[in-house]
This record gives sequence, structure tokens and C-alpha cells, in this order.
Amino acid sequence: MIGGIGADGASPLHRLPAGSKLAGLAVIATALFFVDVPAVLAIAAVIGGAAMLSTGRAPARLARDLALPGLAVVLVGLADVLLVDAATALVAVLRLAALLFFAQAVTLTTSTGELADTLERALVPFDRLGLLDAPRVALTLTLAIRFVPLIGAEIAAIREAQAVRGLAGHPVALAVPLIVRILVRAEEIADAIDARGFPPPRGPGILADRAAPSPAVPSEDLPHDHP
Amino acid sequence: MNHTDRSEGGPRPTAASPSTERRQTIVFDAVSVVREGRTVLDGLSLTLTERRIGIVGRNGSGKSTLLKSLIGLVAPTEGTIIVDGRDSITDARAIRAVTGFLFQNPDNQIVFPIVAEDLAFGLKNHGFDRAQTAARVDAALDRLDIRALGRRRIHELSGGEKQLVALAGVLALGPKTVLFDEPTSQLDLHNRNRFRAVLAAMPEQAVVVAHDLELLDDFDRVLVIDAGRIVADDRPSRALALYRERSA
Ligand SMILES: Nc1ncnc2c1ncn2[C@@H]1O[C@H](COP(=O)(O)OP(=O)(O)OP(=O)(O)O)[C@@H](O)[C@H]1O
Ligand SMILES: [Mg+2]
Repeated sequence: MIGGIGADGASPLHRLPAGSKLAGLAVIATALFFVDVPAVLAIAAVIGGAAMLSTGRAPARLARDLALPGLAVVLVGLADVLLVDAATALVAVLRLAALLFFAQAVTLTTSTGELADTLERALVPFDRLGLLDAPRVALTLTLAIRFVPLIGAEIAAIREAQAVRGLAGHPVALAVPLIVRILVRAEEIADAIDARGFPPPRGPGILADRAAPSPAVPSEDLPHDHP
Repeated sequence: MNHTDRSEGGPRPTAASPSTERRQTIVFDAVSVVREGRTVLDGLSLTLTERRIGIVGRNGSGKSTLLKSLIGLVAPTEGTIIVDGRDSITDARAIRAVTGFLFQNPDNQIVFPIVAEDLAFGLKNHGFDRAQTAARVDAALDRLDIRALGRRRIHELSGGEKQLVALAGVLALGPKTVLFDEPTSQLDLHNRNRFRAVLAAMPEQAVVVAHDLELLDDFDRVLVIDAGRIVADDRPSRALALYRERSA
């Protein structure tokens, strides 16, 4: 699913602002948990499925995106059948499937940048109260999206190297080099983020659209004060 | 993509590279850096004003530390570093606004999964608004002839393309100086040549750490560093000859 984030396209959902999509998703998710009529949940799942298809992503790719979370939904259904009854299982599966489809439709049509900006703006009140640091939380989300696939690639590389040495499948042989690589990478990433000017300067409208560049900004319009 | 165009065309002014000359005066005054009990930089005093400055030295000699200390990523244990009148520690933000840094591994420098979004990241940090950001992102992509990569996902790019994207992210800010830490060590021959042409066409001042010595052949000045001290500081022909001799 993560690879799908930021997909390009021109569907109506692509054009909808990220904030509206995320708010809509929150409302739908909440509503779904107050409904336990299978017919209504089925209709919701169909609408969610239609939303997902309207993004223009090929059904075969959608199927691949949803394989893993889909498996989780099936397992929940099985557990309900075994532990409770079939009716409960049906409600649970329909509800989770509907939620999954809507969430996927939003993920496919919202870029990471929009997601990070929206999250940052939504967190401003908590930031003002000193409960968290909104730009930092948004950056954390972005970094997770960007670097999770890279860590997957590192795991694959280490596995290959260990297999050559006859250590395939040895958990310690995987974990130790992986942790070392992640720590080294983390230090470099931290340096790079600092070098690129993060965090943005704090001022009155820290997260509002910045109309004017801050004084530290080099701009062609400003003369360069040097000989 | 055609890199010969660029090497023959020389620097050309664009939105991201105004015609005013771009360089800074970098002064190291008795700088020492001690990390975990080891002296990594040992009493360096230097004044750098040239447009093309190379740094060579063996692994662990302190080259990366020197570059990082310039923008306050590493603090001197003793002494001061002044970049165009600004202190590297107390004024780090102002220095970083006009001094870009290209890391050895572009994968660790690129933060956003889509090329154009990543270029926007640095601009946003430095307070540019949406319209300015969009214009600068386009200009920086155009300048390196990689406009076509704008909407691509980073993990689908080749190493050479990633390096150019990272450089575009730096150039988009309109820096006076760009610091390069082994910019070609992960590139194949074709991309090395391409990178060399891009570097030759840059009007900005560049300080380049390299193991690829040919990259520094036409530089103005080359420093050879060994165990945290400058052991040669000369024209490339002489400094590189000395370095080759010492490494034999
Ligand atoms: N974060 C750190 N903490 C402690 N010591 C460090 C740290 N980073 C580097 N060093 C040490 O500082 C010394 C100089 O490192 P530096 O990375 O500057 O060398 P370099 O000349 O860039 O080497 P290379 O050619 O391998 O990149 C090395 O001995 C290294 O072990
Ligand atoms: Mg180094």
C-alpha cells in the first residue's frame, strides 16, 4: 500500500483537497462502527470499492495492494466464525472491507506532501498547546513512508549476503547488521535534514501559508551583501 | 539526456542562478574537533575564497568532518569557523540558507518519495511560499535537464538520477556555495562524466571532497588532509602529485 502513496492522476478524488478526503475518511470510519446492519455495510463496501476503482488504478494492481490487508480481514472473519458466529463474522468482514476500500481510495489519490501538510495543519492546535511539534510529527510520517521500502531493500541485501555465507534464516545474522545499518543511515539522514534547513523557523504563523519569505531566505530580489 | 551540451555551453544564468557572482569567504581559525577522545581535526587555520576547492585524503582523515563543520553539523571543540562573517554554530541557519550540502549517498538526503515534493522540502524549510516554491522547483529541474523526473518516485530512479535530484534540491535554494562529499563515488563512468559536466557549468562556489582525483584536475586549489592536518595546499597538479606520492 505504501508504494501507492503519491500516485498521479486526474480523477475527481485526486482533485479533492487532502483535508476533505481525510476528514471524510474519519467520518466514514466512525459511522461504520455504529452500523451493524449487513445490508448497509455491504452498500458501504460497494461504494468504497467504486471510489477505489474511480482512481484509475488497474484492478490487478489494486488486488495486489490489498492482498496483505485483505488477508488480515479474512483472518478476523475466520476467528469470528470459530469463536462467535457467522452473522458477527459477516458484519466484521463487511465493515473492515468498506473501511479498507475507502482508505485505499484516499491513499491512492493523495501525495505524501499533501498528507504531511494536512497533518501538520491539523496538528497546529496541539502544537500551540505545547503538546507536540507539528512539523516534526509530519516529517516523521514522511520519513516512515519514504524509508520503510528502503529498509525492506536492506533486509533483502543482508539476507542475500548471509545466504552466501550459509547463514540463511538465522535471525541474529539478520538483526545485527540490519540494526547497525539503520543506525548509520539514521545519523546521515538526520544530518541531511539539518543541512536542508529543517525545522522551518518558528514565528507567528508558523504553519500558515508563508506569504513572505523569512529574513534568512536568500532571494534573487534581495541584494547579496558581499563584496 | 545530453551532457555534452552543458559542458560546452558553460554556465548560463537561470532563475536559480542569478548572474551575480556567488561565492563566500570561509575562515577556519585554529579549529580542532575531538570526537570520542580522538582528534579528528587538529588546529586548522585556513582562508578559502576560491571558486573551486578540492579536498583529498585517506579514509578517516577528517574530510567529511571538515565539510560538516562548515555548516554547523559538527561543532569545533576549539577555534571558530566563519562563513561570510557568520559563525558556524550561532548562525548555522543563515549559513545553511546559502550553503548547500550534497551527501555521498543521495538516498539518505532525499526525504520525500516524489522528486518534485523532495525539492519543495528545502524551500519550505527556508520560508518560500507555494508559488515561489513551484517556480524554483521547475527552474532547478530544468537547469539539470531532469524536468522529466519531476513526478517520478525516488525508489524507481537510478543512482545517477538520484544524485542529480539531490543536487537539484540543493540548487533550488539558490546557494552561493555547494559542499560535495564524494559526489561521484557511487556513480558509473557515464554518470561521473555527466556529473563532471554539471559541476563545470555551475556558477556557484564548490568545495569538493573526492577520491576521484580527476574530478579536481581543473580546480583552483586542492587541500591534502592527513590525520586532521593540512599537509599540502596548492594548485591541483602539485597537491595531487604529492597526495599520489604519499599514498604509494
Ligand atoms: N559521529 C562520529 N562520532 C565519533 N567519531 C566519528 C564520527 N564520525 C566520524 N568520526 C571519526 O572521525 C574521523 C574522521 O572521519 P571523517 O568521516 O571525517 O573521515 P573522512 O576523511 O571523511 O573519511 P572517508 O574517506 O572514509 O569518508 C574518523 O576516525 C571517524 O571514525
Ligand atoms: Mg567521508
